[in-house]
Amino acid sequence: MEIGINQKRTLNSVRSFVYDNPILVLIVILFIGSCLFVPNFVSPFNLQNLVLQAIDIMIVAIGVTFVVLNGGIDFSSTAVLSLSSVFGAYVMAKSPLASTPWGIPIGILSMVLLGGVVGALNGISVVVLKMPSFIATLASMMVANGLAVYMASIVSETAAVNGLPTQFFVIAGSGGKFYIPVLITMVSAAFAYWLLRYTVFGRRVYATGTNPKTSFISGIPVKKTIFLMMLLSGLFAGLEAVYATARNQSGLPSLGDKVLIDIIAAIIIGGTSIFGGTGGIKQTIYGVVFITLLNNIVNLLGVDWTIIGLLKGILVLIAAFIDIVTKRLELMRKW
Amino acid sequence: MIDEKILDLKDISKSFFGAEVLHQINLEVHNGEILGLVGENGAGKSTLMNILGGILPPDSGTMELKGLPYLPSDPKDADKARIAFIHQELSLFSNLTVAENMFIDKLPTGALWSVRFDKIRTEAAEYIKTFGVHTMPDAQVETLSMGIRQTIEITKALIKNAEIIIFDEPTTSLSQTEKDNLFKIIAHLKKQGVTIIYISHILEDVFFLCDRIAVLRDGHLVGVNKKDSVSKNQVIKMMIGRDINQVYPTIQKNIGEIIYRVSNIQQGRLVNDISLELRVGEIVGLFGLMGAGRTELVRCLFGVDPFDKGEIEFKGKHYRKLNPEICINNGIAFITEDRRQEGLLMPKSVKDNIVLANLNNLQQSFGMVSSQKEDQEADKVIKELNVKVQNKNRQAAKNLSGGNQQKVVIAKWLLKNPSIFIMDEPTRGVDVGAKFEIYTIINDMAKNGSSILFISSEMEELMGVCDRILVMNKGRIVADIPKSDYSQEKIISYAIGGGN
Repeated sequence: MEIGINQKRTLNSVRSFVYDNPILVLIVILFIGSCLFVPNFVSPFNLQNLVLQAIDIMIVAIGVTFVVLNGGIDFSSTAVLSLSSVFGAYVMAKSPLASTPWGIPIGILSMVLLGGVVGALNGISVVVLKMPSFIATLASMMVANGLAVYMASIVSETAAVNGLPTQFFVIAGSGGKFYIPVLITMVSAAFAYWLLRYTVFGRRVYATGTNPKTSFISGIPVKKTIFLMMLLSGLFAGLEAVYATARNQSGLPSLGDKVLIDIIAAIIIGGTSIFGGTGGIKQTIYGVVFITLLNNIVNLLGVDWTIIGLLKGILVLIAAFIDIVTKRLELMRKW
Repeated sequence: MIDEKILDLKDISKSFFGAEVLHQINLEVHNGEILGLVGENGAGKSTLMNILGGILPPDSGTMELKGLPYLPSDPKDADKARIAFIHQELSLFSNLTVAENMFIDKLPTGALWSVRFDKIRTEAAEYIKTFGVHTMPDAQVETLSMGIRQTIEITKALIKNAEIIIFDEPTTSLSQTEKDNLFKIIAHLKKQGVTIIYISHILEDVFFLCDRIAVLRDGHLVGVNKKDSVSKNQVIKMMIGRDINQVYPTIQKNIGEIIYRVSNIQQGRLVNDISLELRVGEIVGLFGLMGAGRTELVRCLFGVDPFDKGEIEFKGKHYRKLNPEICINNGIAFITEDRRQEGLLMPKSVKDNIVLANLNNLQQSFGMVSSQKEDQEADKVIKELNVKVQNKNRQAAKNLSGGNQQKVVIAKWLLKNPSIFIMDEPTRGVDVGAKFEIYTIINDMAKNGSSILFISSEMEELMGVCDRILVMNKGRIVADIPKSDYSQEKIISYAIGGGN
């Protein structure tokens, strides 16, 4: 079959698009397959749910991506979710500010800033105390989790901190204001993408992740960059906590417990390299969508809860394997 | 015996994505000879050797080893065929010891697969003694200088009892003593009947060691001659395809005032109360043997490592503490000795590497990088330095030849228009033609008022390019020799530690 030059050009660009964005193709296939074969998948309720479930981890995953791009890891993000949730709920429901008009805005602000504090502390541990991020964020994760549980036990008789003002829930789209959480997420994602792709800061992040020694000698402020990334990760986690708390309509000290695996799986499957230096926000977005789709489908199909853990583990293994093999393929491809 | 063929390459060709890198190479290697292989960067030497070593398959052509077909599908096949490859870029594990590195491919095991560390330690000690290396079996490789590491790399291959050993630029980081040692080892190997293929830019060494010399140019084998039937100039002409009238460019320039002053810098054992000055437009060489402290000194000067005492004066300001950022902001540039680990972002594109030190100046509003400016600047220096790259945005630094990689590092700093340029072995692994280009650039920079501090282990190069040469020995500057007083004997004797 003879194809003209225009068709050839389109074929080539399709081919390179698929090569550069493999996860997107997987997502499309998965989505179409689910529309056809999974019962109740296409209902407006489920599709809306899909989006809200994705937002559950999207913002925090973007924050962690910053750190992973640097060759580090941030385990504390999920603990920040729990801690900020409890603290914010306290401010909005139990503190002296609770019934005032200031309650909600200060609550929101405090949740984000608390995330920033944890992020900053992580940054100091890594940059000043020279701890590997693995250890530093594992430690802060344990401390933050402990604090969250402790705080919740003080301010509330129940495990969760209840009694939040209903106006607050609009952040998660209650009352039909679905666009609010979507908007918040899109703005955060767009900001993160812009930061990494177009600014000098973004270049520094990638350079430091690729080779901190070369970057240092070339005048990149490596320490400052690492610190800022950990700070950003904390802030994004704080922002996620705002959404998640609104969605659950209470401050939960266990908020972050179940999502750590999903976040890391999303980042790795999405294509950001665990070694640092390659990947980005786009990849993480794909990864989050993919994981969310997977969770959703498995739920609708009624598959055993234990199986999905296994499935995700295997997917992460495959993704990590591809990460390493791609590096070798690139070596041969460019030649 | 020396005319018997051990290796016969017939019509070997290789292309990478449309670009032909080797064109029907027909080469015989005689049993027991030392065959020199020379050519410019990008001529195809490394590719040819990679094919021989099983790292790459040829597109067409055949190879015969001792009369039998030789088709390695990976380096292990080459290993089994008793072909050893000593690469230009070392592949030692810096966190392991000398003994562990030497035996990493053949760790002797005892009961239950446990490694016989005692055995490798004793054997390593023997090799260390035989080859006269200044180290111990338990020394961590990351503490050792490049020179000693290279010697260990060579020992590693010798342990494998190779019949053919390929040396790819082995002397680039060796001191004179270590180099003499290497040549002794090679002579010893020749007596044992080992065949050697010796790739090097240093033609004096090639002529000294080799029986025959093969010249590659742009993927073609231009000629193979017995050493006695060809002159150095003829070889150079074959390499670059044109006459080269001079190795070192000459230039008219003025040397001005003192612009950079280092006073009593102290750091550990290797930087011992160093003081020096640089004048506007001056090219100052820094010579010394391995371990003299040159690299340690310049790393202090650029703030990569902190110094304990002393200060640096530049443009009227005094500094007791430095870091690369401060230096760069003040117009100082630094080319490190180890470009792979510290000079380049290997997996990143050529363009990303070139703009790395200059990001701040490419900023527009909101901290965004101007991609137009990026492109323009990168193209400019690529052209200026004649970097051989097809697509600067997609080709990664790790896929360039050694010489082109070095050019990318220089390009990166050139963008900053530095007033002080510190270079640690800038022409290491760079071929004759490209060296000339680099010397010309250094001269042009000096003419425009920059000052250059030039570390090199090649005395001839320093004598050809520099206005004066500082000689270091055991962490001190022991001589400051002006151009009019240059002599190889004088410089070397200061470096060794004698001296008037």
